[in-house]
Amino acid sequence: MDANAAYGRALARAFGGALLFSFPLLMTMEMWSLGMAVERVRLLAFLLLSLPMLLGLSYYAGFEPTFRLKDEVLDALAAFGVGFLLAAVLLGVFGVLGQSGLSFRADLGKVALCAVPGAIGALVAGKQLGEGAPSAHQKERAGTPGEIFLMAVGALFLAFTVAPTEEMILIAYQMGPLQALLLMALSVLLLHVFVYRLGFPGESRRREAGGPLRTFVGFTAPGYGVALIVSLYLLWTFGRTDGVAPHEIATMTIVLAFPAALGAATARLVV
Amino acid sequence: MATASKSRRAAKPSPRSEPPLLEWISAAIGLACALVAIGFVGWDALTGERSPPEIEVRLVAVTPTPHGFVTQVEAINHGGSSAAQVTVEGVLSGRGEPETAQATLDYIPEQSRVSGGLVFEHDPRAGRLVLRAKGFADAS
Repeated sequence: MDANAAYGRALARAFGGALLFSFPLLMTMEMWSLGMAVERVRLLAFLLLSLPMLLGLSYYAGFEPTFRLKDEVLDALAAFGVGFLLAAVLLGVFGVLGQSGLSFRADLGKVALCAVPGAIGALVAGKQLGEGAPSAHQKERAGTPGEIFLMAVGALFLAFTVAPTEEMILIAYQMGPLQALLLMALSVLLLHVFVYRLGFPGESRRREAGGPLRTFVGFTAPGYGVALIVSLYLLWTFGRTDGVAPHEIATMTIVLAFPAALGAATARLVV
Repeated sequence: MATASKSRRAAKPSPRSEPPLLEWISAAIGLACALVAIGFVGWDALTGERSPPEIEVRLVAVTPTPHGFVTQVEAINHGGSSAAQVTVEGVLSGRGEPETAQATLDYIPEQSRVSGGLVFEHDPRAGRLVLRAKGFADAS
């Protein structure tokens, strides 16, 4: 009984986290139309990829302090449920769902697309809103693949909040090649400074011992690479790359990689 | 670090115990949500037809107002893909010059219905009203 009550509290926290993290997206018009318009194969790939991602995230920052596979799976599924139900309820309240005449698949697409950021929020909330100490224990264990994974989740998370908007494409159109290179340099610089120089919690001092150049090559460069890949993947999922000239795709990716790099840098603060 | 991990252990009295019932229930609900989402989207991805939008425009009701005859219409996309910025036009012929009214509907998903309105000076019920979709943009 006591365990149930504790889990209930954790679940309520998860809903709070999901709400905080996903309401900007739930209140963004593009998310609704993308939920209807995104090509189904890409939406399916996105949903299928999100489950192992949630599993990995649950391992690093679950809303229950556990290490066992069964618990990670249960947590990841519960988080998906939290994100899904929250998206369904809020979109319903906003009058986005159930508009007369729109097919069920349109509504399901909207909810499914919004469920994933909500689920990430639900998992992260376990640490952020929890009364317990941050899971320094687990973070300590995160090796290089773990760090890269967390950077990818952070990048996905922050990039996701702006990726659906028209502004990403507009900014890419407005920028010249020089500005694109400048933005790239700025992203890399910020990524490096945020993670290794400013002394935020979660900064990896261990790696700093190898010297600035080694840190840069070992962590900042892969971090930015991850940000670029995540950005390109999101643009592809949302159908922004279809029929667009390669150099425009590159510029769009660089634009989106700016928030993604910030997300990758702050992943260790948030997750 | 050691103290932090110790207090976490203490917070959970029996780390080896089975997960509480509520955890199983919420995970089951989550699994159901995931299966519904993946199942429907996957089914749609595999079996959904990809025919072009096919938009029928229907008259719903005509309401005389001091500012013209408000004619509510409904556009139904029978095709297998979505259409954006659908221009709906109504041509009212009868006595004198034919009268044209048009409206743009932002988005009509496949197999879905969206309503809008056209406003005419003359009563559409008295003349011959032809309603059709004139064009659309592919939904991105």
